[in-house]
Amino acid sequence: MKLSLSRRAFLGTAAAGLAAGAMPGYFRNALAATPFNFQASWINDAEFTGYFVAIDEGLYTAGGLDLNYMSGGPDVIPESTLISGTADLTLTTPDTTVKAIVDQGAPFKIIGTQYQKNPIGIVSLAKAPINSPADLVGKTLAVPPVNVISVEAMLKLNNIDKSAVNIVPYAYDPTPLIKGEIDASLDFTTNVPFTIEQAGEKATSFLLYDFGFTIYNDTVVVTEETLKSKRAELVAWLKASRKGWETNLADPAVWPPKFADTWFKGTGRTIENEVFFNTAQKPLIESPNGIFSMDEEGIAKNIEALDQIGIKATREMFDTTLLEEI
Amino acid sequence: MGTGRRATALTLIGIVALWEIAGDLDLVASGALPSPSEILVAFWRDKADYWPHILATVRTAAIGFVIGNAVAILAAILFVRVPASERLARGINIAIFALPPIAIVPVLVIALPGEGARLALAALAVYFPTMTAMTVGLREIDPRVVDVVRAYGGGDGAVMRWVRLRSSLPALLGGLRVAAPNAVLGAILAEFGSGSRYGLGAYLLGSLGRADPARLWGIGLAATAIAGLGYALAALAAKRVTDASRAVTIASGAMPPAKGRGQQRIAIAVASFLLPFVVWWLLLWLGGLSPIIAKTPLGVFEYLFLPPTGASARERLLAALVETLPITVLGMAAGLAVAFLLAVLGAVRPGIVRALLPIALVTQTMPLVALTPLLVLIFGRGIAVTVAITVSVTFFPAYVTLAQGLAMVPRAAFDLVGAYGARGWTAMRLVALPASLPWLFAAARLAVPRALLGVMIAEWLATGRGLGNLLNQSRGYLDYGMIWSVALVSVLVSVALYQAAVMLERVATRR
Repeated sequence: MKLSLSRRAFLGTAAAGLAAGAMPGYFRNALAATPFNFQASWINDAEFTGYFVAIDEGLYTAGGLDLNYMSGGPDVIPESTLISGTADLTLTTPDTTVKAIVDQGAPFKIIGTQYQKNPIGIVSLAKAPINSPADLVGKTLAVPPVNVISVEAMLKLNNIDKSAVNIVPYAYDPTPLIKGEIDASLDFTTNVPFTIEQAGEKATSFLLYDFGFTIYNDTVVVTEETLKSKRAELVAWLKASRKGWETNLADPAVWPPKFADTWFKGTGRTIENEVFFNTAQKPLIESPNGIFSMDEEGIAKNIEALDQIGIKATREMFDTTLLEEI
Repeated sequence: MGTGRRATALTLIGIVALWEIAGDLDLVASGALPSPSEILVAFWRDKADYWPHILATVRTAAIGFVIGNAVAILAAILFVRVPASERLARGINIAIFALPPIAIVPVLVIALPGEGARLALAALAVYFPTMTAMTVGLREIDPRVVDVVRAYGGGDGAVMRWVRLRSSLPALLGGLRVAAPNAVLGAILAEFGSGSRYGLGAYLLGSLGRADPARLWGIGLAATAIAGLGYALAALAAKRVTDASRAVTIASGAMPPAKGRGQQRIAIAVASFLLPFVVWWLLLWLGGLSPIIAKTPLGVFEYLFLPPTGASARERLLAALVETLPITVLGMAAGLAVAFLLAVLGAVRPGIVRALLPIALVTQTMPLVALTPLLVLIFGRGIAVTVAITVSVTFFPAYVTLAQGLAMVPRAAFDLVGAYGARGWTAMRLVALPASLPWLFAAARLAVPRALLGVMIAEWLATGRGLGNLLNQSRGYLDYGMIWSVALVSVLVSVALYQAAVMLERVATRR
């Protein structure tokens, strides 16, 4: 092999040496972590009920984990918390994670998935329904800028020119949809229809997954280093979390009310909304092989869908061996 | 005074009544504007939820306010005592001022654990207004008082202690008036992204998806009340101090001429430009962050100019800039015009402006994301909404500075033209406008870099174009090189606009 170091690689290595070697990092080392840090991908809502159940039922403690749960938000980039060392494990969307692996050389592995089917879909009002990608032509669709490539991929898969749809930013407030300023929005189909119905309208929706964009969501991601050094903890996390989710989904209406004064206190959302969310997400999470499982067919579908948007995923980015150890 | 109070009360009542009617009858934006009574009902319904959030925000804003102001005051004293230090720190000062907060929140959240990011943003938000006001205040002194101190053998230290610090108080309090709402805004913005469970920002975030404008307005008004309390305290103190110590003569307002030989001045200018980059590098080095997320200046250069990323990155960045820059200039002019009109109106008809002030303050503290549905329903998603957001972001600091300038005009000058029969608008034109010229430029310097921030916010929330959208998309795609590049380019653009305002000021005051 010819020994050549590209300038980019050289600069990168030099910078890494500077950062990691010469100066150990005063801020980071100040919080050397003994607990197991779990960074969630959004603020506390029903999306994370299974983990709240597992924490409150002592399932992590029983598995020998001192779990530190960290809520997310729009500016929290889950993958960043892994790289910065603030978190040991996080939940991501597979498109961003794989892109980070390919483009930035980020040392990530996907070790499981919360959603077998991505809950993200196109939501519209029943009185002006958009039931398939073809209905979007000539319409205004609000999309969080993060998800624009996913929507464009779905349009392409359905032979629709992306310029035929007017895509505008979506700031997670359904008011413009309810007032008719936009025709549809991209959101969690498990969540926003509840709000729309509360506002006196009927909602209709379809999943991007059902129109060819077949990816997981809330994929469980760790760094390769954590995979090596904390394998036992990761297996314990998967085991306790699976139990937490099974307990929660046994009856989706049971647990959210119990968290009204704890996990869901002061979030500004209602418990009825969380019950709706929890019920709607059940079929998207459950799997015949057990919650979090990733079967070969599902992985292949992810690789295929990501390929449509120019993200080259490989089978090696998914590590199913921890799931086998549960 | 009596008629002024009545005008204030009547205007306020009129505005609230119109708002109530418009809200109840769903006249504005097909009902996206809730009426005051709807907001109050929602507030009462949610009152138990509010306390932990309000306490968290007040705590963050207060600590950040104290830290930021302490640093700002010490820096201003240093700058006046050692003028070279100001020129050296110029790059850092402008960079802190011009940094678009939406670009640095994710980086701060990664770099500073726990509460650190929130405190840092609140402190950063108050540093610049206080530092600028304090520096001006320390310089604009009555030379005759200095002569007295010197005559009794006082040195620079005595002048600082007996003259400068005392006479800077009105200006400092003017600065604090801007800083107080800024601290609250900074705290809320950081809560938005730092994953904290409590704080009005976190509460707003959870409420966004509920399509409940009354709740969002309630949260925004709670933020306004906190900011308004800070503003009122500073304004009250300022009023007491300025009434007692208003100068008899008009200060020149000129900046001290740069000393030293040409070469030395160039060396300091270069050092001041390089210093922010050194600090940037140093902070990342101390932080020990991975070079994947934390790009050094070299990392950004690599990303923008070397393969494989260079060509595509430059192309995307340029395309975004071309969309963003023209509208920034437009928004900047509009923001200054609004501030100037409001300040002049305030001097002529103080009663009416006192009624408008609470509304002006609402526009400063109401998180724009809460208003997005209303704004897009009223203004659409084009140039109009961008200019509207930019005006709302820029006009307030400019207005406060201008109003301060107009208030500093000595009574004697008004008495003179008054003796010749000039009142109201005429007195304004003859005395206040010429006297406030230096303040107009100070206001422009404050407002100009914020214009870019305003445009980026509009692009991020409503239009989906330009730098704001590129930044947001890059965050989603984990394109860290682009995140840092956009932050750097937006700071450079803001600094360039700021320098342009400074040059104009020099040209204009030389006449």
